[in-house]
Amino acid sequence: MNYSLATLWHERPRFLPGIMAVAFSAVLIALQCGLLLGLFKITSIPVDNSNAHIWVGSRDVLSVDLGRPVQLSLMARLAVDERVEKVEPYYQAFASWIKPDGGSALVIVIGAELDDGNMGCVNELNQEMRDALTEPNSVVVDRAEFDKLGIQNLGDYAEINKVRVRIVGQTDSLKSLAGPYVFCSRPTAIMLLRNMTPRDTATYFLVRLKKDEDPEQFAADLNQKYEKRRDMDVMTSETFSTRSRVHWLFKTKAGIALGYTALLGLLVGAVVTSQTLYAATAASSKEYAILLAMGIPRRKVTGTVLVQTFWVGLFGIVLAYPLVHALAGLGRLADVQIPLPVELLCIAAVVTLVMSMMAGLVALRSVRKIEPMNLLR
Amino acid sequence: MSFPAEEDDLPALRCVSIVRSFSDGGRSRNVINDVTMDLHSGQITLLMGPSGSGKSTLLAIMSGLLTPDRGQVLARENGRMIDVWRLSPREREQFRLRNCGFIFQGYNLFPALTARQQLEIVLRWGEGTSGREARKRADEMLEVLGLKGKEHKKPAQLSGGEKQRVAIGRALIKRPKYCFADEPTSALDWGSGQVVIDQLQKAAHEYDSTIIVVSHDHRLLEHVDVSYHLDDGRLTETDIPVNRGGEFESWRAGQ
Repeated sequence: MNYSLATLWHERPRFLPGIMAVAFSAVLIALQCGLLLGLFKITSIPVDNSNAHIWVGSRDVLSVDLGRPVQLSLMARLAVDERVEKVEPYYQAFASWIKPDGGSALVIVIGAELDDGNMGCVNELNQEMRDALTEPNSVVVDRAEFDKLGIQNLGDYAEINKVRVRIVGQTDSLKSLAGPYVFCSRPTAIMLLRNMTPRDTATYFLVRLKKDEDPEQFAADLNQKYEKRRDMDVMTSETFSTRSRVHWLFKTKAGIALGYTALLGLLVGAVVTSQTLYAATAASSKEYAILLAMGIPRRKVTGTVLVQTFWVGLFGIVLAYPLVHALAGLGRLADVQIPLPVELLCIAAVVTLVMSMMAGLVALRSVRKIEPMNLLR
Repeated sequence: MSFPAEEDDLPALRCVSIVRSFSDGGRSRNVINDVTMDLHSGQITLLMGPSGSGKSTLLAIMSGLLTPDRGQVLARENGRMIDVWRLSPREREQFRLRNCGFIFQGYNLFPALTARQQLEIVLRWGEGTSGREARKRADEMLEVLGLKGKEHKKPAQLSGGEKQRVAIGRALIKRPKYCFADEPTSALDWGSGQVVIDQLQKAAHEYDSTIIVVSHDHRLLEHVDVSYHLDDGRLTETDIPVNRGGEFESWRAGQ
């Protein structure tokens, strides 16, 4: 057996706090990253779950939920481009929801075309729901938001911006971050948002390009063409999705807070690991000192400590990941999506291992302190 | 002080006018005071003296672990004498790797490693010996030390004497030209102590090693080839052990 591993096994009570600290870090990092990923997905649901190639919004729009009205007349700029197959307006804005039994909540109303070739309807709205939404003032909300919106059953009534609406359907897993999504038809949205969206405006225009046309090129061309007017932003759906996620992650306190927590986890793990290894190395300093006296290079001792940090890191990760999956499962029970793709787990493992090795480097100061001469005093 | 040496009988280690002082309460105090001595291969040299007389300091200087303020430590290597303290730190480390073994009062064995691994590690880390070869040599050494069958034992499973024998094995496994032992028998009963000194004698004779033992233990006197007495940093007395009289007695008689 490897000497480092033998030492680790023999002195497991000494190394256990370090392993637990790494496990703690790994759990925190993996869960935080999972949560961030879940958050990523939530913030761009309207873009990711619809079928437009291009989203056109107000200039420098930061995120899909922060769109400002754009003049309907701008649609003409899009429609005349020969690469365009179809353009349709899309409405989205925050609105006040009054629950059936009183009380209010902030919601995001999304109004799109409902026909078969539509681009704005989220894919979860099936034919039956879209048919139901053709009825004026009817809406669909996500099942997970029922409690928040005071809804008991389908068919319940509520108010949006003082207009009475009827819940005619429910989606699954389209929970929002800022406020529950309320899906409706374009005419219903215009009615509900009439005070926030001036006449002759929409929040976005959605564009479908003809076959084989390049959305990236189209967006670049139009942005360049209308650069000076500064009245619209043309984005591919991928660009807009990423922009929305990045905005939420890095420009809102939610993303920063999650990032800090992950960092804090790393730091705690690093400090405890470092101290554990420092103490373990210091405890063996006399044994190492003999070897140094005999001329064995200090780098061999350094190498052993670093190999120990590697094992501590690896054991910590092995201990952590079943726990991560269990906690993610608990999250799902509470309707919190914590996706844990293999890539994420690998990255979290690498980050944790690197942290552990860095902690080992810090602990190496105990190796530098080993002085064979001290054995002779 | 030095013994006469034939041209083909250069000392293995020669200390010349060694001075070393330490700061004591702001004042400088000479711990080693102009010490000159020769040590020969194939012999055990005992360095005795009261606590604080500078024995361990002299041992550290001789072994290349502590820099002297003045003087030279000349070691014979490949037929010539090299000044250990004129080597660069890296060269000195390599010199120790090639030539030096150490035994201390505390056995300082890795608690997690077996007796065999304690020895293997010296060969594998020091000489880059292959795992199989290191294991073979470790087992041979343990057998010589009477520890056959205890290769798998960890320090906690060994007696004090056995632990010290493993420590001796660790010091001798690379067949060092010099072996420095600081109070190797102090923590042992005389039976175990005798085993230790037997092994050191065997190393001196079989490997032609130069063994330097620092000890308070007067019982060692009759088992060593040469003995020095260090007092207040000076070599004040040289005892020639009765059973080793031979050549040294005749040399002294001729003075």
